[in-house]
Formats: sequence, structure tokens, C-alpha cells
Amino acid sequence: MKKITALIFGYNDYAFEIAKNIEHKYRDICIFKLNSDEATLQKKNYKIKNFDFSDEWDELKNTFDMQKSIAFCVLEDDAENIFLTISLRSSFKDLSIIALSKNKESANKLSMAGANKVIPVVQTTASIIADMLKKPVVTEVLHDILYEKSDLKIAQIQVEKDNFFDGKYPADIEWSREHGIIVLSIMHEDMSSEFIYSSKVQHHVIKNGDIFVVVGYENEIKEFEKSIGSRCDVDWDNWSR
Amino acid sequence: MKRLIVDFSYSLNASKTYQKTKHFFYNLLENDTFQYKKYFDLFMITLIFMSVAILIREVKSHVSDYLLYFNNYIISIIFLTEYLLRLWVNSSITEIIIKRSEYDAMLNTKFNLSIALLDILKVKIRYIVSARAIIDLLAIIPFFHQLRLLRIFILFRVFKLFRYARSFQTFTSVLATKKFEFITLLMFSGIVIFVSSVLIYVMEANNPDSPIDTLYEAVYWSIVTISTVGYGDITPVTDAGRFVAMLVIIAGIAVLAFTTSIVVSAFTEKLDEIKETKIVDDVSKLKQFYLICGYENVAEEVAKKLLSHSNVIVLDEDVKRIENAKKDGLIALNYDPGSVESYKKLRIDIDTQVKAILCLRESDVENVYTALTVRSINKDVFILSILMNDIHRNKLNFAGVNEILYAKELVGMIAKEFVGKPVAFEVIHALRSDYSNIDIEEIVVNERMLESFYCVAELHNSKYRVVLLGIYKQKNKRFLFNPIDTTLLEQGDYLLVIGNSMFIREFNKYLHQKISQ
Repeated sequence: MKKITALIFGYNDYAFEIAKNIEHKYRDICIFKLNSDEATLQKKNYKIKNFDFSDEWDELKNTFDMQKSIAFCVLEDDAENIFLTISLRSSFKDLSIIALSKNKESANKLSMAGANKVIPVVQTTASIIADMLKKPVVTEVLHDILYEKSDLKIAQIQVEKDNFFDGKYPADIEWSREHGIIVLSIMHEDMSSEFIYSSKVQHHVIKNGDIFVVVGYENEIKEFEKSIGSRCDVDWDNWSR
Repeated sequence: MKRLIVDFSYSLNASKTYQKTKHFFYNLLENDTFQYKKYFDLFMITLIFMSVAILIREVKSHVSDYLLYFNNYIISIIFLTEYLLRLWVNSSITEIIIKRSEYDAMLNTKFNLSIALLDILKVKIRYIVSARAIIDLLAIIPFFHQLRLLRIFILFRVFKLFRYARSFQTFTSVLATKKFEFITLLMFSGIVIFVSSVLIYVMEANNPDSPIDTLYEAVYWSIVTISTVGYGDITPVTDAGRFVAMLVIIAGIAVLAFTTSIVVSAFTEKLDEIKETKIVDDVSKLKQFYLICGYENVAEEVAKKLLSHSNVIVLDEDVKRIENAKKDGLIALNYDPGSVESYKKLRIDIDTQVKAILCLRESDVENVYTALTVRSINKDVFILSILMNDIHRNKLNFAGVNEILYAKELVGMIAKEFVGKPVAFEVIHALRSDYSNIDIEEIVVNERMLESFYCVAELHNSKYRVVLLGIYKQKNKRFLFNPIDTTLLEQGDYLLVIGNSMFIREFNKYLHQKISQ
């Protein structure tokens, strides 16, 4: 389901950075300030609202369509952040929650509290630093793909016309030569993802409903998409798949 | 004549070969960090032991003349050469002459050669009378004398060992810190020995039953007793003598306890310092490492990740954080990363030893300071720093940081990826994380590989079940995605491959091995 509203809980630099980066994607962005926060800085033109931990989300429910919203919990204090996540989860079963945590321990707690995705700040920064030093070229290329500095894209494409493959095994197809794309992995109907060269995939005939994860330039991906099926949207409930 | 000497001094001082030779010998003899010094030391130690072995053998049996000749002449000549070399490198005669002549020229007086010579003599004599030099000299003596008694001077060669074994030097330097206590102890035991030997002599010497007849025997008895050794070959027989014995025994216990405690406390006080010297030594020998400045949350995680494939050294001025780093199994040194002095003391050669410097303090002020310090001593090293507040970004840039990581911005970008391209994000995340067995690696194309592979088609990567994502061309710093079969490989290019880490290893092996098949 397409999300149209972003609710950011927390009134700090993290919140503003997130708001800045996602504003092109959402019709509505609202930053919530914890009542106890003594905030003096007034930032740009975001909607700023107050909230507290009293668990009364009626106003929220009335103003926004929670089904079409995504929530970011970025409070500075990990304990408060966990509390907020639990509170949101208990009130809204279907809300997508992305939470920020300082370290791995609270990351686990946040997932237990019902966050769909947790960003452990320290770990993330550290692994980016380590990757930069260990595999500089890989990191550069991947970053270019992720942060849109190059035209390369990674996409997910669902097979709808399996007769195109004529019962072939994935390993028999010269993906890069014939289609100009690289297939990284295949997801089966049971939603388990397998790397393209894994032995399981070697014996799997391509069927309708399989999903390819491919890398390539936009045009080639479009061509490929046309011939076999359609690009699929992200399943927000099973995000990590 | 004077003019000639001064001219000669100048030319010698400016001569490259002369200075190079002198520097080499200085390193060989005095510089502990010089790589060949330990071989030289080992050689000298072997000579010393050979010399002592010959001496022992000679006591009771005949030793072949060749060995004696070797012992008396060859070893002595080697030692003499060493002695003279040390005398030479210890100070510079030419410099003294030049200094004196310049001094005189400045004062507009005539160059006074005798004063210069006197200066030289002073410096050289100061060296000659130092304890080490005297031992060195005595060790040469067996060469000059064939006298039986002087053979004992060979034992001075053993003292020379102090020069070559570092632990001896540590030992003496540690004990030297307790000089005052040792002098007190020596005075105390000296007085006790003196008083007790005089007393026992007075009490016993006239007694016909007593074995103590001379003052020499009295002194011998009291030293044996006070040291709590107590051979029992000489014992007092009179009541008064036994009373003195009791006093000496009690004093002896005190002396022994005191000595032990001084040595122990000297070592416990110095233990940390000794350990640190050892670590500093180890660090200066390390070939390649990452230097982490400041050990806080991010640093802990980074160190953990880097440790698996490289050496990591942590510098921090805070004792507590250093303790943490040590607990995490890292080489951590309590030095201020923001001070040039620290790098000098640690003898870190940033050019050759350091892969990258990571400023990971959670304070922009500290990171800017550290980065600037490092830049001031090295222009080229890669510096990475984290940024806590965006308004300080330009300061880090100005300080010469190559790569800046701003956690808040990262979070923003990650959020953007999450909502914008979740698939790409998840795939890349899975490739990066250590948990999935699918990995992305970079393989650098080297000369050896080029001999058997010159274009992409020859790599046969699919046979090894790895995906060739693309080639990073070093020449124009561009990434060629999905290169066509005829793409040429060049030295320095990187192949980016994705696959099971085991298959990637196999593939890498194959690339490097093919030549031999």
C-alpha cells in the first residue's frame, strides 16, 4: 500500500535529516515534539506538533490515515524511544515503524517492541567506516547505487510470463549477455530468497510468481520487465524480505 | 697548519660517505631500534661466552694453542675495534673544531687550536671514564698481558653482556630508582657489620677456644651471619660473643626483609612503565596498522570489525577508555593523539606504518585537533573522521580530513533508502553484513593475473559460481557495470564479484594459480 504520510517522533537533528531526505516522497511530513523537550530552534516549514507518553493517540488517528503512514521514532533517549515504539505498536497494528537506536542492545529491544526496522546508529556508522577501509571500491560502487549517484539500479521483478523462459534453469540463461542485467537472487513463492548460483536454484525451473532481484541500468531493467512480468512493490508487512 | 685542520674538519663534516659510515656505526652500536643491531649484539655475546668457556677449560686442562691465540688476540682485537669505534661515534671531533673556529671567528679573534684540542680531550675523557667504557677497556686487557692473575679480567667480558642484553639494562634502571633506599640499607648494614665484627673480635680473639683469631675472620663471620647464610664454620664460644651473634642475626632479618621489599616495590612501581616500553617497541615493529584516535562507542565497533583482518592501535588520553580498549583485546596506548610529541615518543612512522588514521572521538573539537596534528607531521596519510555537528564540517575539511562521516546525515540517507528503494537497500545490506554467506569482494588485477587473463571472457567466473558485477577501472576511476566479453583487463583494475564467500576464495585462487597449470 502506498504510504503518503511520514510521522517523525523526536525533535532533533536526526528528525530534520530524515525529513529533509524523504520530503520528496511523502505528501505530508509531521514532526512530533515531546512535551518535555525544551526546544528553541524553529526549523523550516515542517509541521510541528507536541506529544506525550499518555498513550492517547486519538488526535493522531483522526488527523492521519494510519494505514497509509510510516512512523520514525528518533528520540534521543533509547528508553523513551522503546516506550514510544511499544505505545505506537499497541495502538496501531499496521503502522510501519522505523526506529533509531544507539546500540545493538536497544536495537533488539526495539524490534521486540514492534519496530519494523531498526537503525542502530553506532553500528551503522562503524560498519560503513570499516567497509570503507576494507573494501574501498566495493563501498564506493554500492554507495553510488544506493545514493543515486550512478544510473545503476537494483530492482525486484516478478515473473508473470514463465513461457518466456521455456522451462529453463536459471543457471542456463546468459543473463548479462542476453538481457544486459545481472540477476543476484531469486525469491520463490514461499518467500525464501536464494542466491542465483546456489545449488537450490540450479534445480529450480522458473515459474510464474518467482521474483528476481536484478541489477542493471534503468532501460535494460524496463526491457526485461516488459518481457517477463512486472516490477513489484515492496511488501511493507514483510519488509525484510 | 691551523687553517689546514679547520678546512679538513669542514670537508670531513660535509662528506657524505664519512657521515654515512659514522651514522651506520652509531646505529650498529648504540641505536636499539636499528634492525641489524641485534645481530651485532648476538655476535658479541657469543664471543663473550666463548671467551669464558675457554677460561674455564683452561683451569684444569690444556687448551689448544689455536684457541688461546683466538681468545687472546682475535677476540681482543674485535673488542678493541669495538671500543675504538664507540670512542669515535660517541662525539664528533670535527664538529668541536668547527664550533670553536666559528666561535673564534665570531669574536674576531684568532682560532685557538689548543682550546679546541682541550675541548675534544674533555669530551673523550668523559666517555673513557664512564663505567661502561671502563668495563669495555678491562675486557680488552687479556690481550696485553699473559699474566695468570690478569686472566681473570676475562670475566670483565661477562660484564660487557650488560651492554648487549636489554633486560639487564631494564633491571639496573629499575633498581636505580631506589638509589636512596639502597644507600640507606648499605649504611645500616655497613655499620652493623663494622660494630659487630669489632665487638666479636674484642670478645673472642683472646679466647683460645674461639676460632676467631683475626679481624678478617671477625668481618667474615659477621657478613656470613648478617646475610642469614650462617655457614657455621666459625661460631662464637663466649657468652658475650653469642650475645653479639644474636644481635647480628636480628639485624640480619631486618636487612634481608628490607632488601627484598625494596626490589619488589621498585618493580611494582615500574611494572606499568616496563610493559608500556615493551608495547611501544612492539608497535614500532608492526608493519601496517590502523590508528584509532579516541576510543568511544563508534571506535569500539570499528575496531571490532577491523581487527579481523588487520592490526589496530588505539590512542587515547583518557585512562579509563584505554582500559576498555585493552579489555577488548586491542593494543591501546595512553598517549594524547592530539600532540606531536606522542607520535615521536611512540616512534610511529606514519608514512610506512599507518594505513589510515581514524578520528573517532565523539567531539568535533578533539577530532579537528587530532586531524590537524597529524596533518602537521604528514601530508599524505588517509584521515577519516566522524562529525558530530554539521556546522563543524568545514573545520574538519580545513584540517585536512579525507573522509568525513556524519551519523545524522547517514541516518537521513538510510531513511531515504528505506522508503525509496527498499529492495536495493536490503540487497546491499545483506551483501555487506557478515551474517549471510553471500559476499561481495574486490579482487585487484595484478601482473601475475594478466599473464593468463587479458579479457573478461577468459575469467570463466560463472564456472566458479560467482557473479562478476563489474570492473572498476583504476585509470579513469570509472565503474564498468556488466562488462562485455572483450573488455580488456589492466593492471590495478578491481574486479567486483558477488558470490558465496567460499566460491569467491576459490575463484581468487584460480585467478592467481592458472599460470602454473
